[in-house]
Formats: sequence, C-alpha cells, structure tokens
Amino acid sequence: MKWRKWNRWIHRELGYLFFGMSIIYGISGIALNHGVARHWNPGIITRSVSYDYNRSITKTDVTREVIEEILEITGEKNSFKQYYFPTSDDLMIYLKGGHINVHMPSGTISVTRVRNRPVFNEVNYLHYNKPKKLWTWFSDLFALGLVLMAISGLFLVKGKKGITGRGGLTTLIGIFIPLIFLAIYLWF
Amino acid sequence: MQRLIVWVLFAMLFGSCSQSGKQEETTAEESQTEQIVKATIQELLAQPADYNGKEVAISGMVTHVCKHGGQKCFVLADDGETQIRIVPAGDIDEFKIDLEGSTVAFKGTFKVLNPVQAEALEADHDSKEHHETEMSHSQAEKADYFIEAVDFKELTQ
Repeated sequence: MKWRKWNRWIHRELGYLFFGMSIIYGISGIALNHGVARHWNPGIITRSVSYDYNRSITKTDVTREVIEEILEITGEKNSFKQYYFPTSDDLMIYLKGGHINVHMPSGTISVTRVRNRPVFNEVNYLHYNKPKKLWTWFSDLFALGLVLMAISGLFLVKGKKGITGRGGLTTLIGIFIPLIFLAIYLWF
Repeated sequence: MQRLIVWVLFAMLFGSCSQSGKQEETTAEESQTEQIVKATIQELLAQPADYNGKEVAISGMVTHVCKHGGQKCFVLADDGETQIRIVPAGDIDEFKIDLEGSTVAFKGTFKVLNPVQAEALEADHDSKEHHETEMSHSQAEKADYFIEAVDFKELTQ
C-alpha cells in the first residue's frame, strides 16, 4: 500500500533529522529528572579540598593579613572576591569560581571549587529553552516530529507483531503506565 | 433616523476614545511619577508593609545562589547578618553561581506574602530538604518577604 511507504518514509527521515535532538533531550531529561529529585546537580560540579590552618581564630582576629594568609595556604590568591561571617564560628571567603569556608575554632579550611558540568550544562540550556527566539520554534518542530514518529511507528509492521497484534498490546501497556502513576500520585 | 443613530454611535465612540485617551495619558503620567524606592535591606525589613508591592532598588553582597536552577539568591545587609531573598522575574531566567561573593544592585518589586501564602511557602520549603543543616540564609529563605528582581547589575566581581 502506498500510504505505508509514505509512513515508513516519514518515520525514517524524521528519525534521521531528529537523532541529535533526541539524544539532547534524552540526556538532559535524565539529568533534569534527578536534578528535580535532588539526587545530584546536573548543572554544576563541586570539588572540595581541606587544609589545616593550624590555629584557632575568632571573628576579631580576622584582618586582611589573615585573609591573605589563608589565600596563600589554599593557593587562591588571585581569585579573592569578598568575605563575611555566616555564623560566629565560620568565615566565608568568596573566590572567582568557588569559596573557602574556615571553621575558626578548629582552624579547618575547606575550599570548594564550582564549575559548570560539561555537556549537561549545554544540553540543559537547550532543554530549558534558555536561548528562546528561533530555538523555541525548532524545538516545537522536534516535539511535533516526535508525535509524528510515534504515530508512524505504530504502523511500521504489519501482522502478528504489528499494531493489530502484540504491538497493540505493548502500546496499551505503554499508555497505561503513566496513567497508573497519575492515578497514584495525582488523582487519588 | 438611521443617520441620527449613526451620529449618536459615532459620538459615543469618539467620546469613549477620547476618554480612554485621557485615561492613558493619566496612567502614563502616573507611571512617570512612580519612582523606584531606593532602600537598604534593613529599611525594607523594618517596615515591610510600607514597601509591599513597590518597586525598590537595593544592593549588597550575594551570599548564596541556589545551585538547583538559580531560582533564588540571598543578599547580605550592611549589618553583616540580615539577608533578603531575591527571586528572578521579567527577563531574568536564573541567577548564576558566579554572583556569589559579588556586590550586586537589584531592581524589582518588594513583596510580602499573606499568611496563607507564607504557610504554603514554609510547607514547600520543609518538604524539599533544601539544606541538611541550618544555613546563614535559612531565615531569609523561609521569610514571607522577598524581592522579585527584574534587573540586576554586578557592582564588584
């Protein structure tokens, strides 16, 4: 049948065209899922290193010299921004791309460097539609393409394994799974 | 008769147009005279009701930016202790983590939540396990006041 030929063509060509987009949205989808669930932060990487200041200090001891000494110990002399005291025991020194937390009574220094997570930062940027403008339309096109691929995919195979056979059953299972989750978490 | 009706309709249309024109002029004048209130964080928090819904401009050091999407940041007052929560609005999508430790000037609307909204915020905060330990900005995070920023500028980097 001619319509099957066209159906196959649509499915194949959209599959090729939106391969890159599917990967982008698939990877960022997993990242965002776990970001929302607070399992991890897909956008940034933090690395912490500890140092010992070897002496106990109080708020009144903190001078520009003390700050410079701590920056010297941690090798962060060129990235200093500002400092403040989040609590009476803690000194926070902000750096370009991180911060140093000094627990003053124990003299423990903890340097945290923060940087964007490569790949995830980029794919999330696109998934969240941060570019806006033309990207909105292209990602809309992709979303429409997904719908077309899903529909055309139903009619790729004829017979027992097709939509009128086992394929139909699998399709129904796939529709019911999100409905079950909605029923459990949202509706009842 | 028909002509009369047409003239009446025309007159009404003209009247309403000129009236709306006047209204537009008045609104424009009002918006011109409406000024951004420059205030310190302590001033805002001392009399929150006075500033509720007003456009304000504040500045201070950003102590923390939410790492999960940059949907809020906290600014330190001159007393070195009080902090205020800033949320992005308008064209601002998020606050970048690079803002931490920078002195930033924010412009936006100061908002005070009503008791129902405040309760909902607290419930939401408690359910999300934001930080395992109490942070210096925790009070500002749960506070029923905040600024919806529409513009900001880094004064120091």
